Amino acid sequence: MGLERADDAGVYKISDDLAIIQTVDFFTPIVDDPYWFGQIAAANALSDIYAMGGTPKTAMNLVAFPISEMDISVLRQILQGGLDKMREADVVLVGGHSVEDSELKYGLAATGFIHPERVLMKGNLKLGDRLILTKPLGTGIINTAIKGGLASAEITERVTRLMATLNRDAAEVMQAFPVHACTDITGFGLLGHLAEMTVDSGLGVRLLSRDVPILPETLNYASMGLLPAGAYKNREFRECMVDFSPSVDHLVQDALFDPQTSGGLLICIAPDRADALLEALEKKGIKQAAIIGDVVPEPRERIVVE
Amino acid sequence: MEKALNCKGLACPAPVLKTKETIEQEHPDTISVIVDSEASKQNVTRFLESQNFRTTVTTKDGDFHIIGTKEAGAKPPETAPEEKPETEEKKIMVMIATDRMGYGDDELGKKLIASFVTTLKEMGEELWRLVFVNNGVKLTIQGSEVLDVLKEYEKSGLKILVCGTCLTYFNLLDKKLVGETTNMLDIVTAMQLADKVINI
Repeated sequence: MGLERADDAGVYKISDDLAIIQTVDFFTPIVDDPYWFGQIAAANALSDIYAMGGTPKTAMNLVAFPISEMDISVLRQILQGGLDKMREADVVLVGGHSVEDSELKYGLAATGFIHPERVLMKGNLKLGDRLILTKPLGTGIINTAIKGGLASAEITERVTRLMATLNRDAAEVMQAFPVHACTDITGFGLLGHLAEMTVDSGLGVRLLSRDVPILPETLNYASMGLLPAGAYKNREFRECMVDFSPSVDHLVQDALFDPQTSGGLLICIAPDRADALLEALEKKGIKQAAIIGDVVPEPRERIVVE
Repeated sequence: MEKALNCKGLACPAPVLKTKETIEQEHPDTISVIVDSEASKQNVTRFLESQNFRTTVTTKDGDFHIIGTKEAGAKPPETAPEEKPETEEKKIMVMIATDRMGYGDDELGKKLIASFVTTLKEMGEELWRLVFVNNGVKLTIQGSEVLDVLKEYEKSGLKILVCGTCLTYFNLLDKKLVGETTNMLDIVTAMQLADKVINI
């Protein structure tokens, strides 16, 4: 697969029935608890493989650690969190590399398997397709509130668990359906990733903002100016592709541009199978999944938000 | 009283937090905040507006100077519906610790609690928190008669809190379909903030 078009991970075909998917992702802590941070970083790194329809198999730890300032037990807890998440995903840890750095960072370089003919790309939208999102939005804004010490204990816990939740279950359910395209929602926010799907597709997308699941408190924190800088960058970069209907609240627009950590899958499927897929997701316990829009002929390669 | 803050070089959300701290501690009538990024400019402006400050922004040498002036008796800004200042309106917290109302006949009790939950909406805007503890958490799970009503409340903005310890005790954590799982600290805090607490 070439690099002309943005996609979630690199795919290399080994034989007619096997290709490997490789991806790497690491970042600075987003929650205070090192064990949870480890889990979240691992879930986030494996997500790209799930989004392409693959199964993660092996991973290597990437660590940057301020060893002179921080107790080594912190690192141990982070690695334990990552390892537990890999075990949950049936991924084998095969090695890793650490460097000394003034700022703590952790993540994985991960490898997965897939059948070469079953690789799910981002940009394969078909007219009439429905869009399904499997996790609610708002993690960027809520993480900013957590950093500021303004988030309640309940929302902190909820968002931590949400970010640490693997996209594996959603990906497994999706495998049984004829899905046209898929991506995972991360730093570019829902609209940023949707824009990547829409570019060069020759089609447009209609997003129903009322149907997009958004975490509680997100709009409240957004109104207080607790937006991460990335939310503004995402808006600046992609606003030219998006038409907001006047009824869409400005705070909801912010949530749609909010950069996500370990966000959900955005799945594109034919309209006659969308309800069945949603039902199967719900049955698997992915209760916040929702149909949030569809693929329309006009306006071409633009996103209309209603 | 006037107050000036220099937040240059600070990353989000630090400028908002510094502004917040200053407003809460010093209650200035006018505050000026200097920031050097577009995101900080917008965040601080938003925050000031959510606190009923009228804002103006000027650009000087690539920095943004935000001046906020307190609006006397101002209405809450339209962009921040959740950020209503304290008004005359009462905040009523209803705490439900049972899945049936009153003693006597259990069947009747179940009908009554369903009717009670459905009728609660008549409290209107003053209904502020709905808290479920002990057997009450069973009203928030799969198969509950009032599940749709509660979902409707939640959609319309009512905050529903469900006791996590109780859900765990009854082994119902996965079955809960409405409300936010909460802890005793949040419940006690809600009681303290409420103008009136009704126990069922």
